[in-house]
Amino acid sequence: MKGLRRFLSRFYMALCFIFFYLPIVVTVIFSFNSSKSLTNFTGFSLRWYEELLSNSEIMSAVYVSVTVALLSTVVSTVLGTMTALGLSKSRKFLKEYLLNVNNIPVLNPEIVSAISLMLLFSSVGMPKGYWTMLLAHISFCTPFVITSVYPKVRSLDPNLANAAMDLGATPFQALTKVILPMIRPGIFAGALLAFTMSFDDFVISYFVSGNGVKNISIIVYNMTKRINPTINALSTIVIVVIVAILVFVNVIPVIRKKRRKTEASYSKHKKRSYIAAGVACVLLICLVAGISAASQGGKKTLYVYNAGEYIDPDLLTQFENEYNCTVIYDTFESNEMMYTKLSSGERYDVLVPSDYMIERLIREEYLAPIQWDLITNKDKLMDEVLDKSYDPGNVYSVPYFWGTVGILYDTTVVSEEDMAAGWDVLMNPKYRGNLYMYDSERDSFMVALKALGYSMNTHDEEQIREAYEWLITQRDSMDPVYAGDDVIDNMISGNKALAIVYSGDASYIMSENENMSYCTPSQGTNLWYDAMVITKNCQETELAHAFIDFMLRDDVALANTEYVGYTSVVSSAYEAMQETTYAGINAYVPDISNSKNEIFAYQDTEIKRLFAELWTKVKAQ
Amino acid sequence: MKHFKKLTYPYVIWSALMIVVPLLLIALYAFTTDGNVVKKVSFTLENFAKIIEPTYLNVFWKSIKMGAITTVICLVVGYPLAYIISKCKEEVQGLLILVVTIPTWINMLLRTYAWMNLLADNGIINNLLSKLGIGPLTMMYTDFSVILGMVCNFLPFMIIPIHTSLSKMDHSLIEAAYDLGADPVQTFRKIILKLSMPGVINGCMMVFLMSISTFVIPKLLGGGQYVLVGNLIENQFISVGDWNFGSAISLLLAAIILIFMRVTKKIDVKEN
Repeated sequence: MKGLRRFLSRFYMALCFIFFYLPIVVTVIFSFNSSKSLTNFTGFSLRWYEELLSNSEIMSAVYVSVTVALLSTVVSTVLGTMTALGLSKSRKFLKEYLLNVNNIPVLNPEIVSAISLMLLFSSVGMPKGYWTMLLAHISFCTPFVITSVYPKVRSLDPNLANAAMDLGATPFQALTKVILPMIRPGIFAGALLAFTMSFDDFVISYFVSGNGVKNISIIVYNMTKRINPTINALSTIVIVVIVAILVFVNVIPVIRKKRRKTEASYSKHKKRSYIAAGVACVLLICLVAGISAASQGGKKTLYVYNAGEYIDPDLLTQFENEYNCTVIYDTFESNEMMYTKLSSGERYDVLVPSDYMIERLIREEYLAPIQWDLITNKDKLMDEVLDKSYDPGNVYSVPYFWGTVGILYDTTVVSEEDMAAGWDVLMNPKYRGNLYMYDSERDSFMVALKALGYSMNTHDEEQIREAYEWLITQRDSMDPVYAGDDVIDNMISGNKALAIVYSGDASYIMSENENMSYCTPSQGTNLWYDAMVITKNCQETELAHAFIDFMLRDDVALANTEYVGYTSVVSSAYEAMQETTYAGINAYVPDISNSKNEIFAYQDTEIKRLFAELWTKVKAQ
Repeated sequence: MKHFKKLTYPYVIWSALMIVVPLLLIALYAFTTDGNVVKKVSFTLENFAKIIEPTYLNVFWKSIKMGAITTVICLVVGYPLAYIISKCKEEVQGLLILVVTIPTWINMLLRTYAWMNLLADNGIINNLLSKLGIGPLTMMYTDFSVILGMVCNFLPFMIIPIHTSLSKMDHSLIEAAYDLGADPVQTFRKIILKLSMPGVINGCMMVFLMSISTFVIPKLLGGGQYVLVGNLIENQFISVGDWNFGSAISLLLAAIILIFMRVTKKIDVKEN
């Protein structure tokens, strides 16, 4: 009976651990995959580890994650333990106040804490970077320490410290020899929690950091577009390191203890504190090294802000070498995200927003005019991408990539006749539950408005309502998934038959999965342009122009479009790609013949809010 | 120990600067209009009036429901595990607790990506199932995938506080209960569960709070149609740019959580 119970409890424990470790095992296995796929194991290779080591962006993110986590753990553990100790003796009012205030970061949705801290830092004019991230981390870690230490303190006999002092201990001795040892489990638990929260944090770090300071989570999030096993390799290394440390800390003392059983037990604690001191020293050295590395003086620095996975990172290194400068390269997830950061006062020199956002930035006077005489490669630009409605005469912007939005479909499932219906194929009951819509109000309303034969830039509320009804009907009858960038990986694996995608992503998907084909409906679609612009408070005007010029060079443009998969604006690269990598892939060549195609225009706040509200209603049944 | 009182002072200042002031900024936004730049502060209740609309109330309701389900599952799964761990030898206990925490050190987004690859229509699990001749199951973008992701991510935060309470417990109490003729069920209900209640409450609170406000997990595992409060707030701040409405939603969420806290606190007091 007892044996059975033991077996059952072991079995249950094993089951739970399998559940915990399944995703991790998958992560580890696929870090050795020879291909890019994260669902099909094609063979063993170490290529992702090589790529990881050569990726300086990831390596510096590791440095940031580890040092921030360690420092914030140390500070918040000390601060939190002190507070918890004092709390039990404080007056009722102060106690209630602190406990309630302390609950705020724990209770508040992370996103709110993040925004509130961002507001705080920008209102006191603190430049976002390493220190803001560290401060924010301490601020959300400390409450966790307090909540785990305080119950331990409360369960202590209140007379304990007095007894120690009656026996001649100083208050400090009473604290270190009596109180702290008794609440040690709570402190450890709190420190562990703090480290975990900090190391794993994404949301808060994302909002309060900037100027090129990124932690692992931010890198991973920016990778959503094209997840590749490099990051799996990184986590495998993290796992190995953690396990190694654990073995070191837990097993070695046990062995030593066995060896010299006669020694007094406090030596074990001493050893632990040596280990802790050692860790602290290493940490300090790291920090100093990091700071000195960050302040490499002399070189000019260019701040570039681009969409995630939207450049060949080797080109940045090449530019840095050729122009003897440092490029601080940040990425955003959406134009709106970029705008939020920009309007909160962050410094950037070169931005790469989309057409409608450029129009908005021009209107709101964020941009400086381009000095075209500094752009020696301007003749390499295709005529098709110049002088568009968002910036007539290209006063403020130099095109970067361009393309359309269309329907990607699985030719083994969807017939050509069905595709002839254009956007209406998204209403074809045959494909119910088998399609991805794009999770963006802009693109979804574009589809609905075009399907109804209206302009996607309409301000007519009646037409917008009609589009809303179209989307509701489609939602109810077709059961679509509103996906983000994960649609790329999903379509490469052929998870569904239809998807709304950007042409550049379509090219990439088609090059990875030959069953896929791309179509821009005859009802018209969104023709879009992303362009490089220079901000008004740019401090390196010459370097910024040099960067833009560099991106238009034949070899650079070719490398870039090859890496990213989006359509180049430089004629030589555009033509070369159609003969090589993307030969026969129609998505690479934007269809500009259809007069019903449109470019998104700037929307005023009212209409934007209406779209946003209706879109929320579509999604949140 | 009056001396210890002073130890709270640094945190009093710190919390005022890093917690209260930022929160007041949020509150300021919630009750005003005019976007991101508070040039002219004009008081309004419009933002709150908007939340009453059925769409948004529905979002709140769904979030609370998902949070409650996740919490219950975490409790039901986590309590036995914490209990089993607490019965082990002390060295083993430390090790097992570390085994529980290690996954949380692996990036949360990454673990979620791994689940995406496991659960996808053409994913790892479905590939295995098809070899066994079982048709593809739709697991991604459902309640199932979202709850699974949340449980996997938040379970350690349930286990650790419960284990802390259980390991603090005086085991002779259990023996005493048996000696006094209590059966296992009675012992569990009257002694073990009661003594571990602070941990249970702590754990439930943490899990509920995290699951009610997360936005990354529903976004990745539930797809865009999975709008929970966290997503709604994120949307307002990032894509819509309506910080005022976003702040109002956050304040309401905070209020709901406060009520929840009061209730659990009452239970806590009653138990003690």
